[in-house]
Amino acid sequence: MNRTYTASSRTQLLLMLTPYLLGAAVLVGLPALLSLLLAFLRYDGISAPVWVGGFNFQLVLANPVDLLFPISLYNTLYFVILAVPVRVLSALALALLLSRSGRGVGLYRAAVYLPTIIPDVAYALIWMWIFNPLYGPLNLILDGLGLPTPGWLADAQYAKVVFVVMAAFQIGEGFVVLLAGLQNIPPEYYAAAAVDGGNVWQQFRYITLPLLAPWLLLLTLRDIILSSQNIFTANFIMTNGDPYYSTLFLPLLIYEEAFDRMHFGPGSAMTVLLGLVTAALIGLILSIVGSWGETDAS
Amino acid sequence: MQNRWVSFCLLMAFLFTSACGQGEVQPVSFMVFGEPAELKAYQDLVAAFEKQHPEIKVELIHIPSQGDYRKRLAADLVGGEPADVVLINYRRFSGLAIKNAFEPLGPYLEKSDLIAYDDFYALSMRAFSLNDQVICIPQNISSLVAFYNKDVFDAAGIPYPDAGWTWDDFISASKALTLDFDSDGRIDQYGAGVEPTLIRVAPFVWQNGGKVSINNALTLADPLDLEAVQWFVDWQVTHHIVPNAVEEKAESSESRFINGRTAIYFNSRRLVPTFREITAFDWDIAPLPVGRSDATILHSDAYCLPSAGKHKQAAWTFIEYANSMAGQTLVSQSGRTVPSLIQVAESDAFLDPNAKPAHSRVFLDVIPFTLRLPQQANWADIEEICDEELQRAFFGEVSALEAMQSAVKRALPLFTENE
Repeated sequence: MNRTYTASSRTQLLLMLTPYLLGAAVLVGLPALLSLLLAFLRYDGISAPVWVGGFNFQLVLANPVDLLFPISLYNTLYFVILAVPVRVLSALALALLLSRSGRGVGLYRAAVYLPTIIPDVAYALIWMWIFNPLYGPLNLILDGLGLPTPGWLADAQYAKVVFVVMAAFQIGEGFVVLLAGLQNIPPEYYAAAAVDGGNVWQQFRYITLPLLAPWLLLLTLRDIILSSQNIFTANFIMTNGDPYYSTLFLPLLIYEEAFDRMHFGPGSAMTVLLGLVTAALIGLILSIVGSWGETDAS
Repeated sequence: MQNRWVSFCLLMAFLFTSACGQGEVQPVSFMVFGEPAELKAYQDLVAAFEKQHPEIKVELIHIPSQGDYRKRLAADLVGGEPADVVLINYRRFSGLAIKNAFEPLGPYLEKSDLIAYDDFYALSMRAFSLNDQVICIPQNISSLVAFYNKDVFDAAGIPYPDAGWTWDDFISASKALTLDFDSDGRIDQYGAGVEPTLIRVAPFVWQNGGKVSINNALTLADPLDLEAVQWFVDWQVTHHIVPNAVEEKAESSESRFINGRTAIYFNSRRLVPTFREITAFDWDIAPLPVGRSDATILHSDAYCLPSAGKHKQAAWTFIEYANSMAGQTLVSQSGRTVPSLIQVAESDAFLDPNAKPAHSRVFLDVIPFTLRLPQQANWADIEEICDEELQRAFFGEVSALEAMQSAVKRALPLFTENE
């Protein structure tokens, strides 16, 4: 559907957008610019800042002794690459399952959304209990079934996986978006496909998926940005980077570098690099996907 | 109508004068860290101060964990809005003091009628001085000691640890007290508990003749240092007298001690208010087990006045009171501190025979051989590296030698560079 905006509706839109544009400019744009500037300064919060050019980037990327930035970048990419597909596909599967109205569906939809509205700190504490290697319900069940009981957060081999599992349950927003997307597909398409003898899989493959593709792409891109930044609270509370940096994700390292060590220059340089890596990931996906998917707009 | 005007004018005059009266009350913000049980001590201190100084209103800001506290302080300093009085540990002090983040309190102290330099233990005063100038006023002079559960010692028929007990005594007692009561293959009671960090191992390194750090480098991979680190790591790796990584993650040694399932727990005075709430068993403290010589490590916090503070004179009045006989007595009675004021430390406020631990004097007896970590701008970061490496060795992932060599190598640039 093509929409043409009249001059008056454009003014209305602009008026409605103004508070948010102002908010974004002052609360996001300006701090981001200042952070970019800080990346080129030596600044400890107390002494006067000194211009050091690209030294902070050199320090972060090519430190011969301490490789915390590459380690935490690897951890962050590991998390994003595992968590994003799991989250988007889970949201899709649940949206498909719960898209039709029926008895109790509302309750199930609420249940899917519920973990998303639990405050991050409480959510982290709940999972710390679940993954407690000796007293947590998960290992008690595994032990009861005669299965191995990993050390989870105490074991570098499993600790990152815990964060992926946790993230896989906070999919409420993606679920709601896809639910809306599914309801946006005209039922006539399915009726026509059924008349032509299309089975459920064919209907999904040739109708649902192409029409949902733009929504899925949007969710994936949004989730990459979200996952690379939003892991901070759980990371800070549950492991603080332990054991031996195996769960040191970039947002935590940036926070520690800036606010614990008071190295605002390198901290900002890392923030800029995180932004660049996220942009590169998004660019990569867009270049692979291209104009993948159809819209019902004509 | 005229009466109404008169009433209105009187009302305005009243409101104006009361507002002026309120303006005379000076606000002072006071930021502290500590467990909930410690908070009570500071609340009492503030209440007593406000009673004596009604012209000053103190706002108490409490950040439970020291790690979070440090970040909050950094954020406040960057924002140019630090609290008027802040509590800081001496290991974190240097990094900020070198950058002139604190107003030197030496000149204030010289003018004080309430407190003087010589009233305090010299060790704690030196820990908060820079270039022979007093920067902050120490609130306590604590050190690392061994807390022990008397009931489990009694049950096993083992004599309590006492001054002069040795490393071997400690290992054999801890082995005897590490028990699997129900024979299910899982240890129910550990002989010892400790955080595998530099501040816990350092006193044993010093006892063994090691240095920890000298000439802008760590010495932890040197033979005497390494021998002590290896002995410390062996508590877990060889003797299994402390929980392994999984058990420690499942329940910390501190929690195990509180729940009566650890016999000896190494920590400083700061846990006393929390441990005083234990009713299930009796406990006491002993000095550290002795190696080749006696040594323990200083744990000391001080009240500092940030240079960017806005109410310096009122803040000093509070610091002066908090470190006076009255102030230190109050905080000391909570059990939180080993007073840095000699007179209070030697008084019943601290040595009260009816308050636990029964042997509080241990904290005073060890002062002559209490050592402190170096004053170094990046010391907190160096310590973090050591802790990470030590933890790996303690939980058996790498050898003590490998871990300490890595710590020495990684810390080296931090001794010379600031950013």
